[in-house]
Amino acid sequence: MPLFEEDPAHLSKSRLKSDLVAHSVALPPAQSKKDVYVELHLKHIDQKNAADFSSDEEDQVRDVADKEEDAEDAEIPDPSGLTDDDLKAALLEHGFKAGPIVASTRAVYEKKLRKLLQPDGQDHLNGAEKGVVYSDSEEEDEEEEEGSQGAKEETVERSDQTQQESSQNGDFFYPQCFLPSSRLVPSGSQSVMSNGCSFSSQAFSITQMVEEMESRRSLSVSTDTERELNGSNVQEHWSRSNRLDMPIVDKHSMKNQSLYYTPKASPYKWGMKLSQEPVKDTFKDMFPDTQATPTGIHATRRKPIKGAAGRPIQYVYPDTPASPTTQERRAVERRLVPIQIQILVFLIVVVLLYLIYACVEDNSFSPFVALLESLNQGSDGEEGLLLPAETQDTPALSGQE
Amino acid sequence: MSSTSQKHKDFVAEPMGEKSVMALAGIGEVLGKRLEEKGFDKAYVVLGQFLVLKKDEELFRDWLKDTCGANVKQQGDCYGCLKEWCDSFL
Repeated sequence: MPLFEEDPAHLSKSRLKSDLVAHSVALPPAQSKKDVYVELHLKHIDQKNAADFSSDEEDQVRDVADKEEDAEDAEIPDPSGLTDDDLKAALLEHGFKAGPIVASTRAVYEKKLRKLLQPDGQDHLNGAEKGVVYSDSEEEDEEEEEGSQGAKEETVERSDQTQQESSQNGDFFYPQCFLPSSRLVPSGSQSVMSNGCSFSSQAFSITQMVEEMESRRSLSVSTDTERELNGSNVQEHWSRSNRLDMPIVDKHSMKNQSLYYTPKASPYKWGMKLSQEPVKDTFKDMFPDTQATPTGIHATRRKPIKGAAGRPIQYVYPDTPASPTTQERRAVERRLVPIQIQILVFLIVVVLLYLIYACVEDNSFSPFVALLESLNQGSDGEEGLLLPAETQDTPALSGQE
Repeated sequence: MSSTSQKHKDFVAEPMGEKSVMALAGIGEVLGKRLEEKGFDKAYVVLGQFLVLKKDEELFRDWLKDTCGANVKQQGDCYGCLKEWCDSFL
């Protein structure tokens, strides 16, 4: 499928309408299905464009047009037959921004598209029925789908529209609006509000509630805390204004929005108090000391995991843990070498003392000198040593006697 | 807040490195074997799939169900485990 040509089925209904008007084609009745617009678009506009293109492209346009006319029930034919880009475009058309379509993700996205295709036809029926009530419901269909999925920075008025649309669709509002808290992470406080808005399935005006709260709180509260209170009080209002199943949904919304800290008692409280006066900030009552943060989120710093992702290590363990006994042993070992030296020194001292003793005993140096001379002689050293030693001993002994 | 299992805590406490796919919370022997047969033999490969699906809960759950037949609880455990790991380390 050539990329430069815009497939009419990929265009939004409002776009098709404006194209038809631009080409001065009579518009079908207001509650017509998109397929009717597509057909008209193809009939009048594409034939005009085809005249400019070569015959090959004209044939392709005709083939596409035939295909589109055949598949009236489903807007896009079988998802498995689509290319990756087409699949992505089809998902985008249904208001779902898909990630990369790779081999492993392809099956998931095809399944997703099938799911989107099934309730889609029923959604259009609902839109047509309620078209009488709302003047521009058809345009809001596309806007609502985009709003629910993409916009994180929706204003309160915008979320008001999504609110009305979600009320139309009811159960068929795809659970992609149940965005997990991971999507809430980069968004901030307003997404809390807008996502909370999309949870409820009954029609009511948020702007009205916000105005009510603002009028009550305008005197006492600053603008920063107002947003926080709006976030918390909006949900209080929802549980009170909606009777039957809202408290349950609110409990879920409470659980899903894990960033938003609310005390456990409050969901149960809200379910009970249906007739009480609306404005009562239980959170503030329970925790009067906490400072009001602009986003209403109170979070404690997560204890950093040691060594993880380059975070600094707060507590440094010693490299090798040593018990006192090992430390003593190390101290002792340090002295081992000196001990050997001490032993050597001791032996030298003993030898010296022995020599001195030998000199003192003789009272004369002659045998000592003879001893030395005999020591100096190399070959007769051993025998010489023995003889003077014996002669030395005997005079010593005789001297003593 | 639902309580987390010991397996979850162990996995989330440190970088996954070369841990087997069975180290993921919610993935036991049977599921682990199935994932390995499909080519997801290490935890980081499943992480890769999780990231390619842009950490979307619903898509990841669907994928897990289609690939190894995980039930709702197992899907939730695995998703939560990977999500928390990403919050800490990614």
